[in-house]
This record gives sequence, C-alpha cells and structure tokens, in this order.
Amino acid sequence: MLKRIALAAAAATAFAGIAGSAGAYPDKPITLIVPYKAGGTTHTMSMVLSKALGEELGGKVVVKTRPGAGSAVGVTFLSKAKPDGHTIAYTDLGNLIWNPMTKDDVAYTVDDVRIIAGVSEYQLALIATPDKPYKTLDELLEYSKTNPLNVADMGGMSKTFINYIAAKEGVKWTAIPTRGGGEMVPFLLGGKIDFAYSGGIHQKHGDKMIVLASFLKDGLAKSPEAPTTQERYGIAMPGNSILIAPAGISDEIAAKLEAAVKAAMDDPDFTQVLENIQFPKRFIPSSDVTAFAADVTKSLEEVLASMQ
Amino acid sequence: MDILNSMLGGFEAAFTLTNLAYICVGIVLGIIFGVLPGLGSVTALAMLIPITFYFTPLAAIAFLVGINKGGTSGGAIPAILINAPGTPEAAATALDGYPLAKQGRPEKAMKTALYSSVFGDTFSDIVLILLAAPFAAIALTFGPNELTTIILFSFTMIAALAGRSLVKGLIAAALGLFLSTWGLDPVDSTERMTFGTIYLFDGIPLLPFAIGTLALSSVLSQLYDMRRDRGKPPPPPLPPASQFRAENRIAPREFWGNWKTLIRSACIGTGVGILPGLGVTLAAFLGYGAARRASPRGDRFGTGELEGIQATEAANSAVVGSNLIPTIALGIPGNVAAALLIGAFMIHGVVPGPLMMVNHAELIYSIFASMLMANLAHLIIGRVGIRIWVQFVRIPKHIVLPTVVLLCVVGVYIPTNSMFDVGMLFLFAGVGYLMRKAGFSIVCLVIGFLLGENFEIYLRQTVLINKADLTVLLTNPISLAFLLLTLFFVWHFGIRVPLRQKRERAAARETDAASD
Repeated sequence: MLKRIALAAAAATAFAGIAGSAGAYPDKPITLIVPYKAGGTTHTMSMVLSKALGEELGGKVVVKTRPGAGSAVGVTFLSKAKPDGHTIAYTDLGNLIWNPMTKDDVAYTVDDVRIIAGVSEYQLALIATPDKPYKTLDELLEYSKTNPLNVADMGGMSKTFINYIAAKEGVKWTAIPTRGGGEMVPFLLGGKIDFAYSGGIHQKHGDKMIVLASFLKDGLAKSPEAPTTQERYGIAMPGNSILIAPAGISDEIAAKLEAAVKAAMDDPDFTQVLENIQFPKRFIPSSDVTAFAADVTKSLEEVLASMQ
Repeated sequence: MDILNSMLGGFEAAFTLTNLAYICVGIVLGIIFGVLPGLGSVTALAMLIPITFYFTPLAAIAFLVGINKGGTSGGAIPAILINAPGTPEAAATALDGYPLAKQGRPEKAMKTALYSSVFGDTFSDIVLILLAAPFAAIALTFGPNELTTIILFSFTMIAALAGRSLVKGLIAAALGLFLSTWGLDPVDSTERMTFGTIYLFDGIPLLPFAIGTLALSSVLSQLYDMRRDRGKPPPPPLPPASQFRAENRIAPREFWGNWKTLIRSACIGTGVGILPGLGVTLAAFLGYGAARRASPRGDRFGTGELEGIQATEAANSAVVGSNLIPTIALGIPGNVAAALLIGAFMIHGVVPGPLMMVNHAELIYSIFASMLMANLAHLIIGRVGIRIWVQFVRIPKHIVLPTVVLLCVVGVYIPTNSMFDVGMLFLFAGVGYLMRKAGFSIVCLVIGFLLGENFEIYLRQTVLINKADLTVLLTNPISLAFLLLTLFFVWHFGIRVPLRQKRERAAARETDAASD
C-alpha cells in the first residue's frame, strides 16, 4: 500500500515537472549572474533590475556575483548553464565580444550566448581638465604634434583604442595604465597625466573636467556636442549593458524575458539608480541587437587588426 | 569647525538602534574571537567580511570596526588567565597579567587591560579623525612618483617585522611579492603564471589567500599540535578569583596614576598604526619596552605590575584607529586588518584613497562617529561580560578548531560563488602551514603580497610617465624624503639592531661562561 502511494506520488511529481517545463516560466527562482565584483556599477544596477524583473515575471530573481577576468569567468559559467531561462546574466557588450577575441584561454564564443536585450549605456569618453591648453579633440591633436602627452587608460580595449587613434593621427601618446576611476581622477585633477579615458566617472565632477570626444557611436547623453570616434575614424566602443542567456534558450522564454526587461526598465527604483550613477537607459530590442552586435564586432576587429 | 560639523552630522547618521546593535554584536564577536585560542581580530575580520555583504555600508564597516576593537582587547583575557595569549599582540600582557591572576586577582588584571585598551583606542580614533582629512588633502596631490617611494618605504617594515631571522623574513616577503605578480600584466594584459585558466586572470584572490595563510594554516597547525600532544597533561586550570572583592577592585587613582605610561603607549601605538605595513604586535612590545625603561618601578615588571598591562594594552589597541589613516588617505592598508577593511569598503562600492574623503565624506564621518560609539560600547560590554568571556577560555580546542575550518570555507565561497577560490584557500593553508613549521613569517608573506600589486603598478606608471627617466625620484622632494627614510630604516632595522642584538648575545654568553 505504502509503496503504491509512493509510486503515485512519484508519478504526480514527474507529471507536474513536465507540465511545469511546458507551461509556467519561471517555475523556480532565476539566477542572475553578474560577472563583476559586488559594489561596482553593474552590480548596483543589477540589484534593482533583478527586483523589477522578478515582479514582471512573477517569480524571484537572485543576483549572484561571479567576478573575474573582465567578466569572462561569469560569462563562461553562463554559457555552460542549462538554457531553460533560470540562469541569465547582466553584463556589458564590450567585454562580451572583446574577451574571446583577444584571449586564447577564454572558453566561450559570442555564439554560445544569446543577447536578450540592451538595457543601458556606459558613458565612455576621452576627457581632460579645463586648465589645459586644449579644449577640444582638434586642439588636443594639434598640441600633441609638438608635445608628447601622457594619457590614462583602463587597460584592454581602452588602451588599444587610444593607441589606434594616436597611430592614425601620427601623434605620440604614452598610455598609462590606471585601475579604474578611483585612481585616474586624482591623477588627472593633480596634473600627473595630460588627459584620460573615462568610463563615465567624469560626469560626477561637473565643470572640473571637459569632454574631448565620445567613444560611443551615437554620442554622449550629457555632452552631445563632443565629436565621436565613429564620425572621425569609423570606429566606436560598445558601452551597452545587456541581459544575456545561454544560446540554447527557447524563443518563447527569450521573448518573455525581453518583455520583462522592457517593462522593468520603467521601474521607479531602477530609474532612480540609473539617474544616480548617470547612465542613460538604452533599450535595444532583440530584433535590433544582433545587427548592433555585428556592427560593434566589425569595429573592434578593425582596431585589433590594425594594431597587430 | 568643519570637523566638528562633519562629526555632528556623522553622529546623526550613526546614532541609530540598528547601527548600535551591529557595533555591539561586532564587539562581542571580536572579544570571543580574541579569547579563543589561535584566533584573533584578523581571523574574525577575514571570516565575517563576506557576511557584511548584506548590510548597508555604514552598518558593515561599524560591525567590522567593532570586531577589530573587541578582538584586539579580547586576546588579553586568556593571556591573563592561563598565560596563553589569544592573539600574538597580547603576548606582553601575559608577562604581568598572569602573575596577577596567580595572586588571585585575575579580574583586576582583566579590568586594567580593558580600560587601557579603550583608552588607547579612543586616543587613536581622535588622532584619526583630526588627521584623516588633512592627510587625504595632501595625498590628493600625490602621483605615481610619490606613491612608488611610499610603497618602497613600506617594504622596509618587513625588516622590523621579520622577527629573529631577517633572511627568512625577506624570503617570505619575496614569495608574497612574486605571488602578487600572477594574473594579467597591468600594462599589456599579457598572461603571467595563469596556467591557461581564466580564474587566475585577476591574480590570486585576496580573501582565499589571506584566510588560508593567516587563519586556516594556524588552525591546521594547532590541530597537528593537538595530535602530537595527545596524552600530555592538560593545561593548568583557571586560577581561582579571590574571595575578597576588594582585591579585584581597581581604584581610579591606581589606574590613572600611570597616566604617563598610558599616553606614551597610546602615542607609540598610534605612530605605529600610521606607518603602512607595521603590526599590532610590534606596537605592543614597543609600548611595554618603553614603559619598562621609563617607569621607576620598571625592575618589577613581570611580577604582576598593573603598569605593564596598561603599557601593552594601550599600545596595541591604539593601532586600531590610526591604521585607517593611510587606508583613507592613500588607499594603502596600515596593516593586514586594514587591508581586509579595504576589501570590505570595495564590496560596498567605496574605493579607499584620497577621493574617499571627497566622494563619501558623510559615510566616513559616520564611520568615525561609530568608532567613538564603539569605544563606549566596548567599555560597557567588556566590563559587564567579564565573567562570561572567562567561560570561552574553557571551550576545548577540539570543538573550536573544526568550527573555524568550516567558517573559513563558507567565508571564502560566499562573495564569489567559486569553488576555485575554495581550492585556493586550501592550497594557501598548506603553504602557510609549511611556512609556520619552517619558521617563516606569514605576516611578511601577506605584506609582500599586499604591497606588491601597488608597487608594481605605481613603479610602471612612474617609468611610463617619465619616459623611463627615474631621476625624478631624486628631484621630487616627497619622493626623495621617502627614499632617505627607506635607507634609514634599512640601516636601522637591517644592520644596526641585528648587530646590537648580536653583541648582547655575545656578552650574555661571556657572563654565562664566567659564572660557570
């Protein structure tokens, strides 16, 4: 008798399992992987985004940080996860493409992940201080012809782009590595370096810093007058934060996630956090995101090819 | 006036029931970790930082500061009661505390230790509050040129920390330095010692390294010693407290009568704390030594003099506040505990360094206010719980140690959800264990590792900015000053002190031979 009940129970659970996977999504908490350190901008955004996403999907979204190797550790982990929509990641488009392109040991390729949607945009710029003899990109280039300048980069992509521009213009810039805005800002304000690459931190310093150029294809939200590297050199850096899932995810679940992201972006808390860190929203629907990523990839390939 | 206003604002933000609760829990945990054998504030900080991940930044730092304060004074309790210092910095406390306990006055010794700790702590916190902002303002004008020489100077502290063998200390520091170079090259992003795995791209992660070498290796070493010592007689029982309450009372005049020693030790501890890389233990012995030389009763030190306890505890606790000065002003940790606090700041999105006073001034002043509140809480909790802490001395090691192993593993896993990090934890526990048994200084290893990353990046920035012309380090006044200080310290700790010790040993041998 007991055995029969146990069997019936097992059958019922198995059936419920089948019914669950076919119908309701999500049927268990969703893990949102953040491939950066806790406390950074990506993680800060993800904390509020996960809450709003959970409300939209009618489930719980749990943020797990999986930092390392400029997001490659977390993205590799995601690319190997079960593609049932219960493991997704919030990361940035730039490093997603750049890492497998430049590092042999990175185990994933861009084809192993599916981009659900674009969410917001980092404000990547070339900046200087107002006390310098150059106020625009043209003046900087002119000044660089007679003066060897030091420019702060933040490693990887930013350094390669800076060197690309210097090579195109035939000027001599020395790229100085800095570990993020916390190190770059005092060096720039203290006059130790001549100009710098910024991931968006310049917006917090108001008129103490001036924007020379935008690395984003479509310009910067707060400094639309700054020339873009796209119009000058035909190259741009991707600054988008994106939601991704393993490549095998079904179209149905991907569509559900995309709709949830779109709705979650109107969440007042999410809006507030983006305003605090001064990163504009930039929703890119899945229909456009593939073309967008391909465009960006071409840009990065060109820069890399010319630097080798 | 600015500081006063900022501090008032800080108190406004910090004086909440939740914050007080976090501080108190931190202090209690700190004291318990300090009391338990083989653990201490560094172990407690390393293990509990991951938990603070779920707190607000203020609550997290207040909690950790409470642990650091409690842990530094808690070590004195087993030192007094069973002559087994819970932490190395309390070793000098045992010299006078244990004789007092044997005379039936353990509580008097514990009270003296607690009050002196709180005094040293408060003194140091006030120095921190007064100096943090001006130091940060100066540090904002520093660039790679200055920072390179400051870190170079910090390396000389290894000589002072190395203990008996300078060579072994240098080897340990060099190993730490080498390990800090693993991961992607900061300039060219080429892979160094990554063994083809992306998990090592960012280098060896700090938490598994610190917890493995400092905490887990010590636990393993003690487990081994327990096995070796099976069948040996158990440690001496706790001394009975005197039946006469008056014996254990301490009159204000008796305590404050040694105010010169208290202030001297607090100054020594604060000074040691400001210099990056120096340890709490060094401050404790410097304070004790200075008091023994200066006190008219110096020849009676070691027989149960209150002044000896005061000198030690005021000095080791005074390090806790002032070691945040280099942390806040430069982003360079004052010691291992401060390095772990830097990790905690980073978890909460606060980047330590000169900009911290500008970008997070409110938070910093709230933390300062929390530190002062923690001192008061420390005094009350420490005094009220005095009989409870004694009970923790009785917990057998075979219960404490396995629990700590489990907590170490959990603490490493939580922030990154990475089993790779757990593997690194055990690897470095093994490395630490071997180094302990072979007499190499773990602190030198960790300092070398911590300073190594900063030194490399600042040096390479300096080389790039100056187009490989390093004479700027001699023409820049700040760089030159630190270079000269470096030379002085190398000469003092590396040549002068060892020579003197050698002469003293030789003289001692001669008198021994003569008396034979």
